[in-house]
Amino acid sequence: MRRQLRSRRAPAFPYGYRYRLDDQDEVNQNYLADEEEEAEEEARVMVVHDLEEEEEEEEKEEEEEEEEEGQGQPTSNALWQKLQIVNEHLWDPEKRMSLARTGQSWSLILVIYFFFYASLAAVITLCMYTLFLTISPYMPTFTERVKPPGVMIRPFAHSLNFNFNVSEPDTWQHYVISLNGFLQGYNDSLQEEMNVDCPPGQYFIQDGNEDEDKKACQFKRSFLKNCSGLEDPTFGYSTGQPCILLKMNRIVGFRPELGDPVKVSCKVQRGDENDIRSINYYPESASFDLRYYPYYGKLTHVNYTSPLVAMHFTDVVKNQAVPVQCQLKGKGIINDVINDRFVGRVIFTLNIET
Amino acid sequence: MRLKTPEIYSVELSGTEDVGKTDTGDGKEKYRGLKDKRLELKKNHQKEELKKEVDLEDHKLSIKELERKYGTNIVTGLSSTQAAELLARNGPNALTPPKETPEIVKFPQADGAILCWIAYGIQYFNDKSSSLDSVYLGCVLALVVILTGIFAYYQEAKSTNIMASFSKMIPQQALVIRDSEKKTVPAEQLVVGDIVEIKGGDKIPADIRLLSTQGCKVDNSSLTGNLTPSLRTHDNPLEAENPWNKMSTSPVGTATGMVINTGDRTIIGQIASLASGVGHEKTPIAIEIEHFVHIVAGVAVSIGILFFIIAVSMKYYVLDSIIFLIGIIVANVPEGLLATVTVTLSLTAKRMAKKNCLVKNLEAVETLGSTSIICSDKTGTLTQNRMTVAHLWFDNQIFVADTSEDHSNQVFDQSSGTWASLSKIITLCNRAEFRPGQESVPIMKKVVVGDASETALLKFSEVILGDVMEIRKRNRKVAEIPFNSTNKFQLSIHETDDPSDKRFLMVMKGAPERVLEKCSTIMVNGQEQPLDDSTAEAFHTAYMELGGLGERVLGFCHLYLPADKFPETYSFDVDTVNFPTSNLCFVGLLSMIDPPRSTVPDAVTKCRSAGIKVIMVTGDHPITAKAIAKSVGIISANSETVEDIAKRLNIPVEQVSKRDAKAAVVTGMELKDMSPEQLDELLTDYSEIVFARTSPQQKLIIVEGCQRQDAVVAVTGDGVNDSPALKKADIGIAMGIAGSDAAKNAADMVLLDDNFASIVTGVEEGRLIFDNLKKTIAYTLTKNIAELCPFLIYIIAGLPLPIGTITILFIDLGTDIIPSIALAYEKAESDIMNRKPRHKKKDRLVNAPLAIYSYLHIGLMQALGAFVVYFTVYAQEGFRPSALINLRVEWEKDSVNDLEDSYGQEWTQYQRKYLEWTGYTAFFVGIMIQQIADLIIRKTRRNSIFQQGLFRNKVIWVGIASQIIIALILSYGLGSVSALNFTMLRPQYWFVAVPHAILIWVYDEVRKLFIRLYPGSWWDKNMYY
Repeated sequence: MRRQLRSRRAPAFPYGYRYRLDDQDEVNQNYLADEEEEAEEEARVMVVHDLEEEEEEEEKEEEEEEEEEGQGQPTSNALWQKLQIVNEHLWDPEKRMSLARTGQSWSLILVIYFFFYASLAAVITLCMYTLFLTISPYMPTFTERVKPPGVMIRPFAHSLNFNFNVSEPDTWQHYVISLNGFLQGYNDSLQEEMNVDCPPGQYFIQDGNEDEDKKACQFKRSFLKNCSGLEDPTFGYSTGQPCILLKMNRIVGFRPELGDPVKVSCKVQRGDENDIRSINYYPESASFDLRYYPYYGKLTHVNYTSPLVAMHFTDVVKNQAVPVQCQLKGKGIINDVINDRFVGRVIFTLNIET
Repeated sequence: MRLKTPEIYSVELSGTEDVGKTDTGDGKEKYRGLKDKRLELKKNHQKEELKKEVDLEDHKLSIKELERKYGTNIVTGLSSTQAAELLARNGPNALTPPKETPEIVKFPQADGAILCWIAYGIQYFNDKSSSLDSVYLGCVLALVVILTGIFAYYQEAKSTNIMASFSKMIPQQALVIRDSEKKTVPAEQLVVGDIVEIKGGDKIPADIRLLSTQGCKVDNSSLTGNLTPSLRTHDNPLEAENPWNKMSTSPVGTATGMVINTGDRTIIGQIASLASGVGHEKTPIAIEIEHFVHIVAGVAVSIGILFFIIAVSMKYYVLDSIIFLIGIIVANVPEGLLATVTVTLSLTAKRMAKKNCLVKNLEAVETLGSTSIICSDKTGTLTQNRMTVAHLWFDNQIFVADTSEDHSNQVFDQSSGTWASLSKIITLCNRAEFRPGQESVPIMKKVVVGDASETALLKFSEVILGDVMEIRKRNRKVAEIPFNSTNKFQLSIHETDDPSDKRFLMVMKGAPERVLEKCSTIMVNGQEQPLDDSTAEAFHTAYMELGGLGERVLGFCHLYLPADKFPETYSFDVDTVNFPTSNLCFVGLLSMIDPPRSTVPDAVTKCRSAGIKVIMVTGDHPITAKAIAKSVGIISANSETVEDIAKRLNIPVEQVSKRDAKAAVVTGMELKDMSPEQLDELLTDYSEIVFARTSPQQKLIIVEGCQRQDAVVAVTGDGVNDSPALKKADIGIAMGIAGSDAAKNAADMVLLDDNFASIVTGVEEGRLIFDNLKKTIAYTLTKNIAELCPFLIYIIAGLPLPIGTITILFIDLGTDIIPSIALAYEKAESDIMNRKPRHKKKDRLVNAPLAIYSYLHIGLMQALGAFVVYFTVYAQEGFRPSALINLRVEWEKDSVNDLEDSYGQEWTQYQRKYLEWTGYTAFFVGIMIQQIADLIIRKTRRNSIFQQGLFRNKVIWVGIASQIIIALILSYGLGSVSALNFTMLRPQYWFVAVPHAILIWVYDEVRKLFIRLYPGSWWDKNMYY
């Protein structure tokens, strides 16, 4: 009778309750044959049941209901059982196990995994260490991915469209600030102090060990003349004759063809050639002098300043977008890669309103 | 019932012995009882319908009533227009083939594809020029889903086609009377009311009501599962003489009948639809795969969502986070696995087909491996499905005849004079004949016109004596009394072949006790002796013994008619019986049985040692069933039933402790009275069980009972009556030669050679495929971590993406496919036939150790190895690892075209992109190289690779070669196709991961070593998958 009662009710009871029952069960197992004992046991079960009911009346009632209807709708019962199983799986107080493992087992696992992962980490450290042994900190192992050089312009603020209104300084002020900031490193005083004045027209080759510090050639701001911002602090933006600086991406060890410095030339990319009637280049050669090459890398060539070419668009059609393409020209320079619109060339639009 | 005298096993010459006899009068009750039990079981409505009684009353109607009922005329038949009308109304006389709908397993990438397109849609609205990357990805994912679906469907369809060709047999023709003319029409066009003529050997085209017959008998074995032709009137149409059922064959005689049911409405059709009404259980492997998909999907989705939340809280755009989510899911889902599993299964199916096991349902390939109970039909499956002479008794001695398939080895003493007389009776008192034109066919394979017992005797004598027809010619038959059920004997009178002997020889065979009644003398050692009590006692002992073996016993006697009373010209009249039929000379007994196939005992033993319980379920008589069960080892030699113990100890059956008995023979009657709980108890308590006298429905109950024990149940059978059970079973195995179409349709597997031993092969292959699938899945899961880690690192540490989604797909569906299939060719590590079948719920395909070891051990090592390759590439190109951290945002900005690396060099966006692809390729190569090591270690789970043999499985090396070749093609051949995101990798990068691959191998060898050294240890429990 008692067994029946329990087995019928058990699935619907919350865990703790069943646990208590189980306990009693074990204790009283020896008296199972004893009728009196059994009756008493039954009574006790009922008492516990009542208590439970009082304590969690609402919940209990619901469960009771569920149980009553359990025959008709086994789904709710099954769900409850499932939850209980999950709960028991997470933490089984009887066997003091969580996720079917005891504390001892868990600690053993933690220790083993700790050592396993520690040794894996050691292996990786070793690998990375060997990797760094084989790599020079001064010269990259391979440079052909970054060759041929890319091109970038200044001022640059996320966009290659230069839209401004001459009469509204707000529309071009940020270009001026950007250029000023960019050119701080090219200030004549700074260049004279840090860098050497090396002979133009030839490579500035510095022999010696890799790890020796290398000297850098001066590229003074004043080389940019009208676009230096020294004479016209607005870089021509206030007059609708904007200056745009062009710089070639640094590549360690890159040397232009001897005697043939890389030149810059700009023209209208699409549309009327005459939309740009004149461009002034500074330095006037419109080229990057050979003395700025080769580059020896960030670590040793600390003060290296990239050479620049300034394009002064002195006469551009106003109030209309003019697409401009500036290309590098020279031996060994590639400027027509389809996928990469910044290798050897740069395309931007000028839209100057008056 | 079981205690009835052997009388019932003795044969009536025309073979009227049948299921019905012992169940006389309760045929309907039997079904009703079942119905009640069904109600108790509270089974669903569909199954309830199974119990629909076979409702045929037509055999009780008179011919006139029939004519009225069906609007036909037995002389003129139907008119053509009537027939056409009925055909249009009732449909053709053919069984509706069961519809098969393939299930296409959907992996979560379907959702991935949709997410991709949604992502693109949002992107497009934000910025019209956004890249089409996510569209490509979406398309690729959709394509993968569709392709794998098509592939699985194609594989299924292919194996279904084999079956289709199977069932397309030569169109059956029927001779029918229409418009008063005899016409031959295809059996499909028969309609109710048609009058058909049946010749010996024809298949009965539909359910017919016999109108007239000339010595015609019918073999209903495919319906009742029994061999004996039935020709009797009975309340139950299944067992009644009339009508005859479609599919039955008529071995002898001719008959005319009226079609009363066609197509699905025939009894056979009803059983077939009963079978198709039984829901097919999910195969164990399907459950396992589902379980696996749940695990994988669970891991993928939870990691995906976790990182989605992380990404969102790290202030990534929601759109980007969605793309990450997709990436994580794609990395986590083994896209190629569905195709791999399908191919693996079909490879095994092919291998099994070579061994004459045709697998209809691919998933069934594995089911046999997990089978823990085989419920085998007796007739035709365990036995040869033909009566064969098993024992002879003459000269007070029992002789054993060879019952093997070819009868080649008859060793009994043939020198006695009694044998000479006996052989003469056997030869002469027999109406069976070989069909002409079979000279080149071996005797045992020749087609015989005659019933089963006579066929057995004919072949027996042909083998021993040579040309029987010639002997019969020399001993011309002058008179004959054919068998009838009142006489229970057959008698014929012949001239002797000795020209000097003018006497006639009268030979008689029949039910032994009837024959003995007619005898006054008995022949011993060629001499006639008076039949006294002691010889009669000997006869009875022999008779009981042979009957106890479950054999059908025939008695033989003869009498030389004195020449003076019966001169040569004497005219015998069989109607008035103007010759003596008593005081004959008893010569001997001969017993026949449907003998077990010679391969069965061995196969049963093998099943036993493989932990598979073999249960016999037959419609046959318990004693015959038990005898066969003993002879094939289903009841082993030293085990006893309760009854056996009772008999041995001479105590009543009730007093025997059930614990002592290992074996049990249960009849359908007893089963009928059992509650499901009692059946469960029975199935668990006894290891050797024989169910006899069972109906198709009871077979179903037995199978369900076994399934309640969490057993994977295989059912073998050949008859239509087996088909519901075949369908209900986890795997139904039908006999290819003897099996009926209904059985083959219901089955998942067909044994083309009817050889039970093929099942053992199937079990072996099934277990092997389970083990190998484990290896395949472990192999496939491993690299998922290596594919997943990059995304996680990318999101958290902001490295440029180490591997792209498309590249991952190239691993999953490119380099990894052939190797994972190659694992299917792996040989077993140990004797898989000596272990217990796996427990359906405990021994999962993908268990915790497998997932943990693959994900957290090897997978992680792989990921680290691949990262080393990735870092090497970046570092050598200029980006040291320290520079990569949190570089992601700048790296991915299209407008940044002068990104500085560790050396101060500046990179344009495209240059970076190209480097990123190089990184993908490097990571890909890193994974690929380590997957080679993974493939090698997965060859074994416990043994060392060197124990297993590195080169024994050549396909593994094909797989490795394919991996390398595909990778080479992708990198060097397609490196210039930018959409694929592969680049030409410097040769040295291919070798960076090699040390890691070796490390993986070594680590796994160490793991296996500890497992072998300390079986049962913590290590074994947690590291053995």
